[in-house]
Formats: sequence, C-alpha cells, structure tokens
Amino acid sequence: MNTDLNTEMQSFIQKYDLLGCIQCGRCTGGCPVTVRTNLNVRRIVYDSRNEEVLEELAKLPEIWDCTACNTCAVRCPKGLKPVEVLIGLRNILVEEGSVEPTVRDALESIFREGNPWNKSRATRCDWMEGLDVRIVEPGEKVENLIFVCCTIAYDPKVQGIAKNLVKILNKAGVDYGFIGESESCCASEAHNMGEEGLFEMAIEDNTELLNSYEAKRLVAISPHCYAAFKNQYPDLKAEVIHYTHLLKELLEEKKITITKECAEKVIFHDPCFLGKQNNVFDEPRYILKQVGGAELVEFDRKRERSLCCEGGGGKMWVEGSATKAERLAETRVKDAREREATVLAVACPFCVLTLDDALKARGFEEEMRVAEILEFIGPLVE
Amino acid sequence: MGNVFVIAEHRQGLLRDISLEMLTVASQVTQQNGGDVVAVLLGSGVDSLADKLAGYSDKVLYVDDPLFADFNAEKYQRVLVELIKQNNPELVMIGHTTQGVDIAPALAVEMKIPFVTDVIQIEFADGKLQPVRQYYQGKVNANFAFKGESPYLITLREATLEVPEPSKKGAIEKIDSPLKEDIEYRRFIEYVEAEVGDVDITQSEILVAVGRGIREEKNMPMIEELAKAINADICGSRAATDAGWLDHDRQVGTSGKTVKPKLYIAIGISGAFQHLAGMKGSKTIVAINKDPDAPIFSVADFAIIDDLFKVVPKLTEKLKELKG
Repeated sequence: MNTDLNTEMQSFIQKYDLLGCIQCGRCTGGCPVTVRTNLNVRRIVYDSRNEEVLEELAKLPEIWDCTACNTCAVRCPKGLKPVEVLIGLRNILVEEGSVEPTVRDALESIFREGNPWNKSRATRCDWMEGLDVRIVEPGEKVENLIFVCCTIAYDPKVQGIAKNLVKILNKAGVDYGFIGESESCCASEAHNMGEEGLFEMAIEDNTELLNSYEAKRLVAISPHCYAAFKNQYPDLKAEVIHYTHLLKELLEEKKITITKECAEKVIFHDPCFLGKQNNVFDEPRYILKQVGGAELVEFDRKRERSLCCEGGGGKMWVEGSATKAERLAETRVKDAREREATVLAVACPFCVLTLDDALKARGFEEEMRVAEILEFIGPLVE
Repeated sequence: MGNVFVIAEHRQGLLRDISLEMLTVASQVTQQNGGDVVAVLLGSGVDSLADKLAGYSDKVLYVDDPLFADFNAEKYQRVLVELIKQNNPELVMIGHTTQGVDIAPALAVEMKIPFVTDVIQIEFADGKLQPVRQYYQGKVNANFAFKGESPYLITLREATLEVPEPSKKGAIEKIDSPLKEDIEYRRFIEYVEAEVGDVDITQSEILVAVGRGIREEKNMPMIEELAKAINADICGSRAATDAGWLDHDRQVGTSGKTVKPKLYIAIGISGAFQHLAGMKGSKTIVAINKDPDAPIFSVADFAIIDDLFKVVPKLTEKLKELKG
C-alpha cells in the first residue's frame, strides 16, 4: 500500500519516524534548555513510541520548555526532528483545549486579527506613520515584497527595525513594497505551540495572498517568518530571502555605504531560526564588518552552536516549567560582557526582547546595549 | 407584586455570599412593590443557615434531609418544581454561579417559564419586573421584560452589591422533602478543595505591581507596606520575578497572567508591550515612573511622574491617614 496517499491515517510513530531513532542521545546532549528544566527530548521520543501514553506525555509540564531552536534536529545523525515530536504532543493539548489561557489568547488572536498580540488588524501599519513607504496591491509588480512580522509591526520596542529598513531601502533606491493591513501572521509560532490546523490555514491563506503579487522576492524581516516561508510554505512563487541577504547585496553593489564610524565592540548572537535552521551565518557578519571603527568579536558558542535566547517555541506566551538556573538570555549577555562587547547585535525581534530583558536583569545597561542589526547600522548610513 | 423566591446557595456548611446578595436585591424590589421575600434552603443539618437567612427575608422555607447533604442540581430541580407549583411566587432568583447555572436552565425548560440569565439588578416599571443585563463588556445596560405569565426566573450575577446588616426576622418553616428517594444516575462523588496555593492574582481586586525600577529586593518592604495599607496583592513584571523578588506565579504579561483588577498600581514598570498586554484591561491604572516617556503611561489613567522612592512612602502614609 502506498502510505503517502494515506496521510490522514498516519500514526504518531509514522508521522515522526520514531522507529528510526537509535536513542543515541545527541538531541538531549545538545538541547540548550536542559540546564534549566527536566526536559529530556531523547526520553520523550522513546516514550512516544507507545502511542497509548501520548496523552500522558503531553501533560508533562516540560513539554512547554522547548524553544523550537532546532538544535536536536541539527544534531540528529538519523535526520529526525525530535522538536516536532514535542510540537506533536502540544498539538494533543491544543486539540483537547487544555493549554494555558495566554497560549489560547495568542492563537485566537492569530485567527481573528492575523497577529498573536491581541492587536487590531487596522493598526498593523501604524508604525509607518510619517514614513515614505509604498504599499503594493495584489497584481502589482515589485522586486522585493517586504514581510514585516507581527511583533515588529506592533511592539514599539522593535518597530525601529522596520523603520530603519525603510530608511536604508529608500536610500538605496531599491524597488520594494509592503503588503499593508492585509499582511497576516506567518503562524510559525502557532505551529510551534501545537496549533496545526491554524498553521495549515495560515499557509493556505498566506500563500494565496503572497502569490497574488508579481513579486520576485519575498523579504522577511524576522527569522521566524523567514524560516516558515522558506521551509514550511511549499507553494510560494517568490524567492524567500532574509533582509540580511538583501542588505549584503546592497552593500556589495555599493548601493548603500555605512559612512559613519562607530568605535564599538560588537558581538553577534546567531538567532536559531536564521542560523542553525537556515545556515544564514555569514550575511549578518558581513554587514557588521562594514562598520568602520567597530570591532566584531565572537561568542564561544557561535554559528551552529549558538545558544538559544529562549524567545521562540511559543515562549513569548508561556513560561513553561523552567525554574532552575538563570535564563539562557542572561547567560548570553554575561558571555557577551566577558568578551567586553559594547553592542550585542542580533537579527531577530524575539532575540531583542529576551536579551534586552536579560541585560536589564543583569544590570549591564551602562556597559552594553542590545541592537538589532538594522537599528545598529540605520543611523550609520548617510 | 407576588412573592420572590430566593434559592439559597451554600457549600461546606457555609452560605455563599450570593445568597445574601440575592435576598438584598429581592428586598429592594418587594419594598417598593409589595410581596414577600422567601428564602428557600435545601440541605442537611442547616438550621443555623436558616436562622441567618431569616435576617434577610420575610420567610424561610427549608428542607433538612440527608438527601441534600451535597449539591446535586437534579435533586434541586425536582424539589424546586414542587415548591414553585405549590407557592406560585412571581419571581424565582438563583445565583449566576456554577451551581446556579447547573439548575436554572433545566428548571426553566421543565416548567416552561420565562428566564433571564446573568442579571445585575431588577427594576420595576409599568407594573412589570425588568431585569437588567449588561452588554459590550459592561458598557451598555439593557432592560428586559418577561413575556407571558409568572412565575419568572432569573439568575443574578455575583458580587454586584454590598450586603447590609440583617434587618428582618422572617418566619422559619421547615418542610418535608418532596423528594422521597435518592436518584442514581447523577451522584455526588467528592468535594475537591482547590489547592491552597499562593494568592491568585487574577482574582485580586487591587494589585500593586513592581518592576525593575525598585532596583533591589531590599526595597520590597516599602511596596508591601503600600499593599497592606490598601489590602492589595503584589504582582510584578517579568523583570521583577526573574530577579527573584516575587514568585513566578505573580508575573503579569503575555507569558504570565492576564489580570483585570479594579485598581492596578504600577510602580517602576516601564511597560514593555508584553507586560501591558497582561494588565491593560484593569479598570483603573495608576503608574508611578520617573521617565515621562515610559510606555506604561500610554495605558495609565493616572500618571505620577516622579521618583518612586519619594512617591511610594508618601502615598502609603496618605492612604493610611485616609483609612485611619
């Protein structure tokens, strides 16, 4: 029998290829949250082979400690995705309706308003006020269609990311445009919180919307949207890139130059959804190296081994059971301080939020700042 | 008008507040328009509860029977149908509570009587009872009229009014239970006590919230003193719980709890978007922060732009004075 035609009936074991697991433990060995919680992903993959206990497993509080960073999948020698098993267990809870109210509200908000922040769709573009931007209509031709991301659109703390991108793109004279109010959540975090149905619906609706433009490239500002569009949306017509790809290109072609010098010691934190999930390591570093006067230093845990900030996997809406040890974001800012960095550069809105909180919790405000690459170089481009 | 039946609610040997609240509303209605307030109590070993109800009603009708040792909506329904038929009250009031909403709809259907749920008060106009309900999260009140003949049924929302001191001395009448046999298909199994945990901040009426602005744990007593002066519970931003000044179950925000107290006093909280999402539904928000640009002020009803270390002690002192 051709099992491909029988996906509806696919069992949990088949769906995640659980019998392929050799229990080597590389997943748990690399899992960044194990220092803080009881989460043992190898154990959960093993126990999940008994489908009769799935509901029981789903009730383990540590299921919500996973940040969906993907380290386990990167390290799996069999090419399995242990992270997806955890998400599959969350799916059981979502189906039963037994998730935290904060998770429920975020999911409901994605469904109703197209964003997880309980904000009205009508205010999605408020951040553009006073800026010279183009909103493209379906059917219109555009070289670079920019996808803003809900968090960047609504959270005043990270709206500067998009504003600086507008400044840079206008300076470079690039053909680009925004979707406007009809832009809806990529639902990557809905998937990570286990809401499979909502994610599938978002893929369908967003694919229809995004394909309605004559866009050559879809440029995601957030690595979370980027990863979703690139890896989980199979039918997009436009090429999916991250803004760091575009920026590197503009710098190489000399369409923009970073003219102002900046005597800072910059350390770059690789976002999981950009780095270890999509191998975008060099572009952000290339951009940062163009800043005159600045010195780029590296974490010990960099690139594929970058330490997760704990911003993904639904962690913006649920605390999980982790109480042990400090937050990973705090470890990260401490490490950055040890390298005497004065700017902790990131390329993801969630990383900005978690690391900035950690920086304040550690009292490093005087010595260091967290800056998204666009916010860092925006003022340096003249 | 005719009499008003109030179905008393009790649990673990104690009357629930809603019982006296309903009697208070019923007394207001009958005072103006005639009729007696009749408290109806079903239970086992509930003489003392009947006495207490008498202080708020013109008459107490009560059944004292081991069959009513524990709450069972099915049994209540059987008995209430009989009592309503025998006494023909104009209005029957049941609490809009988990117990009440278990009884009322089925009772209304069985007796085919008009029914309005989640009523906040009762008005009387044109010789008719008009229950009032709320819409749009309390922004609009709507008056209802009953169709057809009485008796009418309402469920009354909890905690909408203050209960005064008892002022009546109702006659107490113990009656035989119209229910003679236990029912099998719906049984009481056990009473599960909610875990006696810490304070549940989602239930607090007044919250004092702290953020990183208080700088150190040693400044917490200053906050505790303020909270004590106004009977508030303490909660905080993620930064405050991460710093260990508060337990994590006191965290307000998108990854913590969503709270909607009557009063929220934010002290030294700048107001990250994720924090605001968890508290902006509070009825009145007071924010104390020295940074005039702090986002917390975008949702605050009252802004105190000053050093919290100067403001909080003065505020506490003043509040103590006002209360004392």
